[in-house]
Amino acid sequence: MIELRDVTLDVGGRALLRDIDARVATGEFVALLGRNGAGKTTLLRAIAGLHRVRCGAISLDGAPAAQLRALDRAKRIAFVTGDEVFLESLLVRDVVSIGRFAHHRWWQWNAAPNDEDAVDGALAAVRIEAFAERLFSTLSAGERQRVWIALGLAQETPILLLDEPTSHLDVGVAHEILALLWRLTRAGKTVVCALHDINEAAGYADRIALLGDGALLALDSPDAVLTGPLLQKAYGIAFARRHALLPASVLAERPHVGA
Amino acid sequence: MRAAALAILPLLAAMLSLLVGGTSLSPAAVTWALLHPHETGVLHTIVWQLRLPRVCIAATVGASLALCGAVLQGMLRNPLVDPYLTGVSAAAAAAISIAIVAGVSAAATPGIGFVAGLGAALLVAALARRGGGIDSNRLILAGISLSTLFAAIVTLALVRAQSNQYASAVVAWLAGSMAGRGWPELAMAAPYAALGAVLAFAVAAPLNALRIGELRARAVGLNVNRAQWIMLAASSLLAASSVVLAGLVGFIGLIVPHIGRRIVGSDARVLLPACASIGAALCMVADAICRRIVAPAELPIGVLLAFIGVPAFLYLYLRPASALRRDAV
Repeated sequence: MIELRDVTLDVGGRALLRDIDARVATGEFVALLGRNGAGKTTLLRAIAGLHRVRCGAISLDGAPAAQLRALDRAKRIAFVTGDEVFLESLLVRDVVSIGRFAHHRWWQWNAAPNDEDAVDGALAAVRIEAFAERLFSTLSAGERQRVWIALGLAQETPILLLDEPTSHLDVGVAHEILALLWRLTRAGKTVVCALHDINEAAGYADRIALLGDGALLALDSPDAVLTGPLLQKAYGIAFARRHALLPASVLAERPHVGA
Repeated sequence: MRAAALAILPLLAAMLSLLVGGTSLSPAAVTWALLHPHETGVLHTIVWQLRLPRVCIAATVGASLALCGAVLQGMLRNPLVDPYLTGVSAAAAAAISIAIVAGVSAAATPGIGFVAGLGAALLVAALARRGGGIDSNRLILAGISLSTLFAAIVTLALVRAQSNQYASAVVAWLAGSMAGRGWPELAMAAPYAALGAVLAFAVAAPLNALRIGELRARAVGLNVNRAQWIMLAASSLLAASSVVLAGLVGFIGLIVPHIGRRIVGSDARVLLPACASIGAALCMVADAICRRIVAPAELPIGVLLAFIGVPAFLYLYLRPASALRRDAV
């Protein structure tokens, strides 16, 4: 369980998000929506311990996150973020193996016994076993995104935070990744995922957190959040509801979506 | 196989380096002298008092510079970084130049250089601080600016030198050479080099994590700030000890990490030992050639490394991508 109490976050000395109160239950899939610069990334980073919290408190399963050491936090939370400049020619397996960092002590040079299982499992979960021995730099955007998710999965954490895992991806791959995340939540993982596509959020999230005006505008079921007034407030434009195009699998599994 | 080759390489280089010099010795004679350390005679003196300390110094310098380069390149994720970036060598050069020109006894100069080098590393680190950690760009900028300042001090010392004797002593030192160094210098610098090496190996896993970027390294549980301070301490100790042993020896610290990555890949747990081994071997062979090629005079090792090492490296590194990397892992 993730709990935020009166959390205020600064960026560049200016308050970006104020007094965020939220609670995400174990096994829940929460989508984080909001316009560019609304604070989605900053909020995810703060929960992952990668951004300083100015005031308020974040707790993980009741324990204050601020007091966790980096290694212990990395055993509870995996933070998945998209591409960035890459210098080295690393194999996909090398990249995913780095997710095991927190499971080692610094003097342990050899792989721990369950490292290989964890890495293989992570590669299999995102269906990139076939790429394991390929150079990361030769992968497509969708394949790279899966590698980053596999890196997070290899950490074997109960909580998975993802910063726009479907950006730059075609519809098919995006839905495959979201379906994967959804299945992970049914298996007990907690997923908080920043998204840009409202329909993706509606299709997969148990609840949607909507950021706007430096605050958490809503944290509720998709039906309750994706309403004209709230979206107008968050995005500054008017929305009308028509039938969304979603994969048949989503509609079969969750018939209330898109109704 | 590869590991065995990398372990044997420095031993072969050491043997070669023991055989070569002003007078050529036979392998049998050198082996005999090595196995009978308490004998006396010309052969014994050459091997134990001249050749062996030189070989050990060359190995220490080569391994230190290569390790230092590998750590700094990994820490700053910048392949152009070399051990002298942090200002260690420039400060040592400045301090030693002043000491030479001021007529301080030759025995004291290495110590002065060592202290000045570490002091410069601390200053650069202080300037590069951001929050609890070190900012890579600030570190590079601070290192380069301070190095420029120290280089100006060296020039000033040269210009103001009262005699040519002082000036040539400074130049000889700047060119990088192990001439005239022996057990006492090695005994002074080796412990610091060893400490630096231990710290370097201790940050192998953090260096691996940093390969996927600083943010992700934090996310997988690396305390980046602490790791950076350890890496900086390791690289400063390694650079400072090599500088006091041999002056400014270029090329090795920049190039050997690239050669190492070509051969064994970028996993620091393999790369660091490989770099130490290649660096030591390269430096020992180069020093042997320097002693022989213009005997009885000596060529500065930096000059030789540039002439032989750079073309060899360009061939290795810039030729079209080969299968080397693929079967390396």
